[in-house]
Amino acid sequence: MPGEPRVPTEPTLEELSALIDNELDAGAQARVAAHIAGCQACQARLDGLRQTAHAIRGLPMEAPPRTFTIPAQHRQAWRWAPVGWIGSAAVALLLIAVGIQNLHLPARPTATSESTSRVSGGLAYGPAQGQKGAVAPLAAPAPATQYDSQSTAAASAATVVDPTNSARRLVLDTDGRSYSATGRMQVTVQLIGSPSTSLNSANQGLTLTLVRNGLGVALNPVGVKSGSGTPIFGGWYDLAGFPLSAPRAGDYRLEATWMIPDGSGRVLQASVPITLN
Amino acid sequence: MFPSQDKNPDDRDLVSRARRGDQEAFSQLIVQYQVPLYNMALRMVGGRDDAADISQEAFLRAWEKIRTLRDAPFKSWLFQIAVNLCYDHFRRNRRYGTMPDDERSSFGLGIATPDPQERAEANERNRLVRESIEALDHDMRIAIVLRDVNGMAYDEIAGVLRVPLGTVKSRIARARAQVQERLQQHPEFFPREDVHAG
Repeated sequence: MPGEPRVPTEPTLEELSALIDNELDAGAQARVAAHIAGCQACQARLDGLRQTAHAIRGLPMEAPPRTFTIPAQHRQAWRWAPVGWIGSAAVALLLIAVGIQNLHLPARPTATSESTSRVSGGLAYGPAQGQKGAVAPLAAPAPATQYDSQSTAAASAATVVDPTNSARRLVLDTDGRSYSATGRMQVTVQLIGSPSTSLNSANQGLTLTLVRNGLGVALNPVGVKSGSGTPIFGGWYDLAGFPLSAPRAGDYRLEATWMIPDGSGRVLQASVPITLN
Repeated sequence: MFPSQDKNPDDRDLVSRARRGDQEAFSQLIVQYQVPLYNMALRMVGGRDDAADISQEAFLRAWEKIRTLRDAPFKSWLFQIAVNLCYDHFRRNRRYGTMPDDERSSFGLGIATPDPQERAEANERNRLVRESIEALDHDMRIAIVLRDVNGMAYDEIAGVLRVPLGTVKSRIARARAQVQERLQQHPEFFPREDVHAG
């Protein structure tokens, strides 16, 4: 009505949404806030949008089901990449010039999307999956990798030796094999011969995951240094706090995956069976 | 189109080393971004295997092309690659993604309540939220995922999606309104506000 005090212009949906994200400029923010202060309907709209945003933000972040790596062939391709087609043409001309067609070269794996992820350093990958191209799931360690797993009623341990450096080992230990679903599990991961002294698990390329049916809960390993300087990670984990799906009881695997921080791209992976009762 | 240099100073050093062929540096970038990138893909395409494939392919392409990365922030550039792969996935499959639909999705990072009743309710709430996101069209879905799952600022999202800032603002607002409308069909989990948004 003319002459009657009025709240500022009703904000748009975009303005209310942007207000939640602090993405309005100062003038618009003041105007929208002034309107909302005197308008219950817009306050309710804002609350609804805010609750929706909170519901989406409350979705749990999931751990990836496998480790992402760069296969060795991609490293080689990368070195040639800047040469581009000019380099390729030059190489082709050179090969023609020396009569390469008469040579018998040994068969080599070709860096195609079908074959690039077969092997990466110390860890073998399963065969490429149909149309999935370069992407393949992690599988058992390569045959060249020494892999020992010991389990007793009291504890489990697994050791993986780097096939290119026998002094480098990934050792995974737990203080038991079977735990109450509300119990406490002690885990120790030794990165023997690590090229890094970092006690940050991310810097070491270490992930620790409790896995069942291909899905995992990521454990946060705390790092300490042994008397010999070996980075050791792990801790005591209250299993009751793990976001496990029902039924919580069942057979799991505790996996330690170590992307060796030496630029080689090699990955060592050790796992031990864990049963929750 | 990207808003600024890397906001994370550690990225600059790692990217610089990776551009010189240092794979260890790139591996650290993988470790740093694998969870947010995978979760973005997961919320877009739904299936865990597809999300993991997209994430792996994004890292591969980023590694192959990192020498072409100049002033753009690595995170935005990496997500742009992954978003394009998500759209490729949609084109190949000619359908919207299928969200995880069972309780296994409760596996994740973070701490959940151990109480079975509360866990069951939380699982149901999460399922409804995922389905509401799934019902969005791809453009709105990626905008709201980048904002509310990955926590990106609007200008960062505009850089990833290569659209104007106003478009980002509009897509996020409309996406939230649509998700809200669907969630309010389940007042036992999401009590209805006095007035609808939108």
